[in-house]
Parts: sequence; C-alpha cells; structure tokens
Amino acid sequence: MSARSLTLGALLLAAIIAGSLATLAWGELGVGVPDLLAAARGEASTTATFVLERLRGPRLLVGIGAGLAFGLAGALFQTVTRNPLGSPDVIGLGAGAGAGVALATLLLPGLVPAPVGAMVGAGVAIGLVHLSTGLGFASPARVIITGIGVAAMATAVTQYVVAVALRDSSTQLAGYLVGTLNSRSLGQAAVIGGCLLVLAPAVALLSHDLRMMDLGDQLAEALGGSAIRTRTWAIVLSVLLAAAGVAVAGPIAFVALSAPHIARRMVGAPGPHLVLSALVGALIMVLADFAVQHVGPLENLPVGVITAAFGGVYLGYLLVTAWKKADA
Amino acid sequence: MRRLPPWAALVIVSAVLLLACLASIALGSREIDLAGLWQVVRGREDEHLRQVIAAREARTALGAVVGAALAASGMLIQGVTRNPLGEPGLLGVTSGASAAVVTATAFLGFSGGAATVWVALPGALLAVLVVYLLGRPAGSHSVVPLILAGAVISAVLYAYIQAMILTRPDVFDSFRHWVVGSLAGASYATLGAVAPALVLGVVLAAVVAPGLNTLALGDDVATALGTPVALLRATTILAATLLAAGATAAVGPLAFVGLAVPHLVRALVGGDHRWQLPIALVLGAALLLGSDVLARVIARPQELMVGVITAFLGAPFLLWAVRRGKVTA
Repeated sequence: MSARSLTLGALLLAAIIAGSLATLAWGELGVGVPDLLAAARGEASTTATFVLERLRGPRLLVGIGAGLAFGLAGALFQTVTRNPLGSPDVIGLGAGAGAGVALATLLLPGLVPAPVGAMVGAGVAIGLVHLSTGLGFASPARVIITGIGVAAMATAVTQYVVAVALRDSSTQLAGYLVGTLNSRSLGQAAVIGGCLLVLAPAVALLSHDLRMMDLGDQLAEALGGSAIRTRTWAIVLSVLLAAAGVAVAGPIAFVALSAPHIARRMVGAPGPHLVLSALVGALIMVLADFAVQHVGPLENLPVGVITAAFGGVYLGYLLVTAWKKADA
Repeated sequence: MRRLPPWAALVIVSAVLLLACLASIALGSREIDLAGLWQVVRGREDEHLRQVIAAREARTALGAVVGAALAASGMLIQGVTRNPLGEPGLLGVTSGASAAVVTATAFLGFSGGAATVWVALPGALLAVLVVYLLGRPAGSHSVVPLILAGAVISAVLYAYIQAMILTRPDVFDSFRHWVVGSLAGASYATLGAVAPALVLGVVLAAVVAPGLNTLALGDDVATALGTPVALLRATTILAATLLAAGATAAVGPLAFVGLAVPHLVRALVGGDHRWQLPIALVLGAALLLGSDVLARVIARPQELMVGVITAFLGAPFLLWAVRRGKVTA
C-alpha cells in the first residue's frame, strides 16, 4: 500500500470520527465528548446513556457498518465485472435484498431472520440478472439494463408484501423501499458488526488475486491465478456484504456505486482500493445520517432519500464525463 | 409463426378488452355476481350496489384510457428512436411529470383537477430533455446510456418526491397512492381534465404513424423519399409526451405498460405503424384493466396499487428484450 493511500486512509478515518462525534453531540439531547468519556468509565447520566444506547448510538454504528459493507461490496463487484457502473445497487441486488428482508420480517416473522432473507433475495436477484443477460456478467450494457428490470420487479414484491402485511403504513413502506437508519437497535449493530468480522478477512484473503484481476483475465491466469474462481468468490462476497448492509439498514441507494469511484479518484491510480472504498462508504453514511438528524429541511427523512438524491446526481455526472471521454 | 391479418388481431384484442372491462366492473374488494350486475343494468337494484358499480365504471373508463395512452406513447417512442426499450417510464417521462405535479401541489397549492395535466406536461418534457442530454453522447447509437440516464433521473426525482411526501404528510395524504400509480379514487372529473391532452396526443399519433413506417427505413432513405424527418420526429415526441404526461397526471407514474404492449403488438401485426397504433391502444387498455383487476383482488381486503402489478408483469419484457439480443453496447 502506497504512502498516499495510507495518508488518505488516515484522513478518512479522522473524518468519520469527526462526523460521528458531531452527530452525537449536535442539538438537543446531544452527547458531547466529556459525556462520552464519562460513559466509557460507566458513570454517564441516564439521559446520556439513553441517547447512546437507544437513540443515536445504534443508528451511528449501523450506519458505519452498513457503509463499510456497501463500500467493500461495490469495490469487489466493480473490479471483477470491470464495469464502473456494475455496482450492487445498479444491478438490482439491493432491491432484491430489500424484498427478501420485507418477506422475511413481514410474512415469515420469527421463522427467517432478516439477514438470511436479505441474502436469499440478493442471491435470487443476481441469479436472475445472470440468467437474463444470456452472457453472464460479460456484457456491462446487458447487466445494467436487466438490473433495472430486476430492481423494478423486486420493488414491486416489496410493495406487495408491505401492502399485505402492514395494511397501510406509508412511513414503514418508505423504510423498506429506500432504506433508513431511524429506530435502529444495538442488536442490528451487532449483526452488521459480526458480518463484517467474518467477511472482511475473507475479502482480505482474496485481495491479492483481485489486484491481478485488475490487469485482465489473461494476465491474471498467466500469473498463476484462476480468474473464474476469483471472480466467483468476489461476487459471492460482494452479495453477502451488500445483503448484510441491506438487512440492517434497508436498500440504501448508490453508496456501493459511488464509494469505490470516489476512492479511485482520491488515489488517482487504478486498482480495487478495498479499504479506502469501505472507509468512503462509511463516511458517506455518517454524513447522510448527520444531514437527516440535524439539517433543518431534511430532518427525519429516511437516509436512503439523501443518498439516492446525491448519488444519483453523482452518477449523472459520471455518465456525462465517462461518455465524453469515450468519444474523444 | 404465421401472423394474423391485422383486422383479425384487432377483433381479438377488442374482445379481450371487452372481457377486461366486464371483469373490472364485476370484480373488486366487494364481489358482485352477474345476476346483480344484470339487475343494475336493467335499473332494478339497491342503492349501495348501484354506487359501487358507478365508482367501478369511472375507474374502468379511466383505466382503459390511461392504458391506451401509455401503450401508444411507448409505441411512438419505440418507433421514433428505433429502440426496442423506448418507454415513457424508463426514459423518465413519468417521473418528470410526477415531480412537477408534486412540486405544484406542495408550493403552489394545487389539488388535482384540470390544471394538473398542464403542470405535468412541462415537467415531463424537461425530464426527457435532461435524459437525452445525459444519455446521448455525440455519435453514439447505443441505447444503454439513455436507459441508464433515465434510471438516474427517475431515482433522483423519486427521492425528491419521497422527501416531499414524507416531510409534508398533510398536503400529500391523498397523493400517496398516486405516487406509485393507482386507479383508486378515479372519477370522470379526472378523465375530463386530462382528455384534451390525450385526444390531441392520439390525433397527432394518427398523423405521424404513416411517417414512422418511412422513418423505419433509416433517416437517409426517409429524407430521400421526401419525409420531413426533423418535423416528424419532433411531432412524434410531442405526441408521446402529451400521452404519457396526461396519463401520469391522471393516475400517477405507471412504468412498463408502454414497454410491454408495443412488443406484443409487433408480435401480432408486424412493423406497420398504421395498424400498430389502434391495436396498441386497445391492447394497452385491456392490459391496464387486467392489471387493475389483479391489483384489487390479489391482496384482499387491502388493495394494491396497479403500478406494482404493471411493474411486475412488464419488467420481464425488459429482460426478454435483452435476452433476445436487442441490446448492443
């Protein structure tokens, strides 16, 4: 890892910490740094404990965890498909996982845990995309378009499930469709933390082969790697990571897409940049969550609305510049 | 497969439409048997039943008109762009129209009615324009950038609409169903409000249909045959936008109707746009009514938004078109 990457990583980490502290401290019921230190020693006031354990603490942890997972998932997927737009949220994986969560929690409560539902939903969605293109993941264009179709179908499933199970509750529907950090629990934070603990080392084991993949299939094979095996594992890990994120925070749009892009731009060199992508993903989530908690007109919106709006604009900007470059 | 003669196809789809209309009046969260229906028709019935039927008649009429408009709009877009994935929903037309209506409702105090469609129209045009600017790099004939740009614009506008609705629930209480596309609460007043835009759209569509046949031969050939290509293209896009914006103003964004129907129509009657137009109109009406019936009975006693059904039934056509190799990078 280059010195530049290390510096960037440290800066991102600092920004995440600063954003987290600000999110906790701002506004009414804010928990400042002295309160945090007191809480660490176990002598915080009941209000501060309540805010930390019930209100702002869980959603912050879930946000960071989901952001890390989305960033990693996006970086993995974009590297092995060699498709800057082939990210889990564009190709319908997020929507599929969301439908799985809705099915598991609303129609089969207690039988199927939400993360399992998310993984099954994500797996079905990506399998559908793989089958429908007729060429696997080889053609970026086909992957993107079938992904849009699969996402539409998954969204329809979610709406059906919510309509059947919850009768008529628009605010909860929004949570299932766009992803939110409102009313998270420490249990959910533990789920995403556990998933990351298992999956991140697996990604680390794969990272050497991934760097070779970045050079092209043939070169990777020549250097002794198996391109097909690496690609399969990377896609499986990416699906699991994205599904874990969706299970705790809902199908939050465009974080998996934009985090690896931003990381690549910051470094200025090609490559998977797994760690930096994960950190950027976490930072995006922290900032978006700060916005919906503390910025007046955005208050109380699901965090997915913010990432969809800004991520969408960023994707539009990418489209324009990418195709300008392709023309030149 | 041998194709049917066009008139036979028209007879068949008309029969399907008739069945769909009957089903739409007879089926719902409250069931009415055919004997009861017959009594209403003959004027002997109880008052409550009559009101249920009256509401369903309005809903059926609006559903048929909207389905026809969306299908014709999709057919026009696919014809003029020579692009099998052209569809008002995919190209951002419907989300542009919705965002404009939501904006007018939130900030200008609109509350439905005749004015909605004239708000929806510029919104739809603006969204299409942005999608084309984003997704049409000079010299490229790929569909993918366009579809992707449409998805991006739709995602951003959807976020905006969600934000509006969630932050101002008081204003949008009656709009929640509209946002996903629903025929619940349809009335003849809504139909009357959007009728001028839709009629104008259909007339323009009938005018440009023969020209689209020439355009299908390619721009150069069409120009050589004396077709005013630029004018034809502009008129077609105007007609398609009028139809889609009118339909959206009436019932909210409905995706994939305009995608699925033209594919079915081409399978039935081939490439002649003069026959495609009437069959698309009838088949679109039948398809939307069928979807609406399904939406009413599938989640009883709750009613599903028809947009959910059309997305689930229509999206596979997208996968199918890709699978058939109609998309090239």
